Amino acid sequence: MTKPLLEVHNLRKVFKKADGSQHVAVDDISFHLETGEIFSFLGPNGAGKSTTINMITTQLTPTSGTIKIAGRDIRTDPINARRKIGIVAQYNNLDRGLTAFENLVYHGRYFGMTTQAAEQRANELLADFGLSEWRQDYVKSFSGGMAQRLKIARAIMHRPQLLFLDEPTTGLDPAYREILWDHVLRLNRQQQTTVFLTTHYMEEPERFSDHVAIYQQGKIRALGTIPELRQLVPAASIVYATVDAVTAPLLQELNQQPFIKEILQKDEKNLAIFPNTDDQILQQVLPIFEQQPVKLENIRLSFASLDDIFVHVTEHPTEMEVKAHA
Amino acid sequence: MRNQTSLNVFWIMVKRDLLIQWRNWAEFIFRVVMLPFILILTYGYVLPKIGVLPASFPNDLFPGMVGMSLLITGIHGTAVPLSMDFNNSREIEDRLQAPVPVMVTAWAKMFVGMIESWIGALLVLPISLIFMGQSLRLHLTTGNIFLLLLILLLSSFASAALGLLVGTIVKPNQIAAMFPGFLMPVIFTGAIFFSWSALVKLPFYQILVLVNPLVYINEALRHTMLGVGNAMPLTYSLIGILAFTILMGVLGMRRFRKMAVR
Ligand SMILES: Nc1ncnc2c1ncn2[C@@H]1O[C@H](COP(=O)(O)OP(=O)(O)OP(=O)(O)O)[C@@H](O)[C@H]1O
Ligand SMILES: [Mg+2]
Repeated sequence: MTKPLLEVHNLRKVFKKADGSQHVAVDDISFHLETGEIFSFLGPNGAGKSTTINMITTQLTPTSGTIKIAGRDIRTDPINARRKIGIVAQYNNLDRGLTAFENLVYHGRYFGMTTQAAEQRANELLADFGLSEWRQDYVKSFSGGMAQRLKIARAIMHRPQLLFLDEPTTGLDPAYREILWDHVLRLNRQQQTTVFLTTHYMEEPERFSDHVAIYQQGKIRALGTIPELRQLVPAASIVYATVDAVTAPLLQELNQQPFIKEILQKDEKNLAIFPNTDDQILQQVLPIFEQQPVKLENIRLSFASLDDIFVHVTEHPTEMEVKAHA
Repeated sequence: MRNQTSLNVFWIMVKRDLLIQWRNWAEFIFRVVMLPFILILTYGYVLPKIGVLPASFPNDLFPGMVGMSLLITGIHGTAVPLSMDFNNSREIEDRLQAPVPVMVTAWAKMFVGMIESWIGALLVLPISLIFMGQSLRLHLTTGNIFLLLLILLLSSFASAALGLLVGTIVKPNQIAAMFPGFLMPVIFTGAIFFSWSALVKLPFYQILVLVNPLVYINEALRHTMLGVGNAMPLTYSLIGILAFTILMGVLGMRRFRKMAVR
């Protein structure tokens, strides 16, 4: 096997807070990314995802641990690291005094593209991301979604080998989400671009990721392919039921059934039921609902979604430490 | 894609800064011209004309105006955009991400600050000629001109280095306080309205003002522009400028690095 493109070993970041106390934002994490893979880094707000990205992209100094890109320690060779990296930051850090076109061209020039090559690619990307009409407009006049599109175009302008997307689709309408993924997947397929994604939209990693890390309070709780992660939840297939209102007697009745392993109440109307068996589950579950004075609005059987895996893993933090891929 | 050299990226970054400055040229001229204009009008024209100040005063004032405009413009031109870039817009991140040492970005910022400081010094000339042209008795020889250029070069570097330091310390919401809290004291203790040697009568004050780099800049300019006169010995003022440049440069670079890679 070839050397991984990105290797992270025992990475830690401790922030000093305003009151003098310490906050461990990233707590001794290790993982690696192979060239060409799409890696999703999922975690609740404040888990330390952006902090991790900032350290890998040479913007923030780790408290301890090592990061290697293409086998070279980024601390001793940050320039080589930056040459390979493209970043879509979580916030708008576009150059406000420049036009959309200039933002892209200058970025390309910083990365050694000739003016001609940079201008040509800038025009292509502006067209792809629906910004041609605003080519000569200053980005201070851009809407949130427009700025987000331009940030994405800028990050892929120099065709990076390792692309960091920190919640790239937040604020994007569905059509531009597709365009973003279209571009990212094309870079990934044609140039083996490796992608490091953080997102709160679970369907994106579900569709595109090779590996997923579930990350919480500075620690990786689970890491693997989605089928591997599915093994962490009590059942591979789950019954999703929606009723007019979940009642205590209903939960009690369900809990007494020998073929049900666990019940997760998602909200006042929705239940996820983890069965023990894969046989005839719906046929066994349906009568229970019929006996109860509740109105069943919807019921379906499906594989555990990433959403369920995520909820399950983050709610059972100590039980699992799977390092299928570490 | 060819490997990018630091020098190439430096020029591209300089070009970016100059482009942005060029787009705000009217605001730039206004900012740079107003301070020397109002001081020259008052101290170089009105007060000597009505007899509050001696008729020879404008001649002593002129080098100080050049030095002040150079220093203030350079500090301002480096510090304010830097402070905004780092704290508000974070737009500097794109440049810091370029595959060159992060200090290239700092050098580019300083270089642009130096260019601005030269423009600041140059703009004093027409104002001075208009309001105090008749009183000026400059003493410039060919040898002097080179010395003068050297002093201007060193001083502009010192001002950009000071701007780098200030810009990486001051937060955008503190910029408004920078004028009364920092620039005004620099101006009024900076040997503009008096020559340093005249302070012998106030020995404590004479020592105190030595912490102000503008004192050395103005004394060196006075020495070269007006002939020996009553200025501080040239070696002292040159050493002063040099020492300040190195000190501010080292501190500014260190601060910049801290801000760039937190
Ligand atoms: N410069 C800093 N100083 C102090 N604490 C910080 C700093 N940056 C981040 N933190 C803290 O570190 C933790 C992780 O922050 P981070 O931005 O990495 O989270 P995140 O996983 O990206 O969250 P989100 O989903 O909201 O973007 C948070 O508790 C945050 O308050
Ligand atoms: Mg974040």
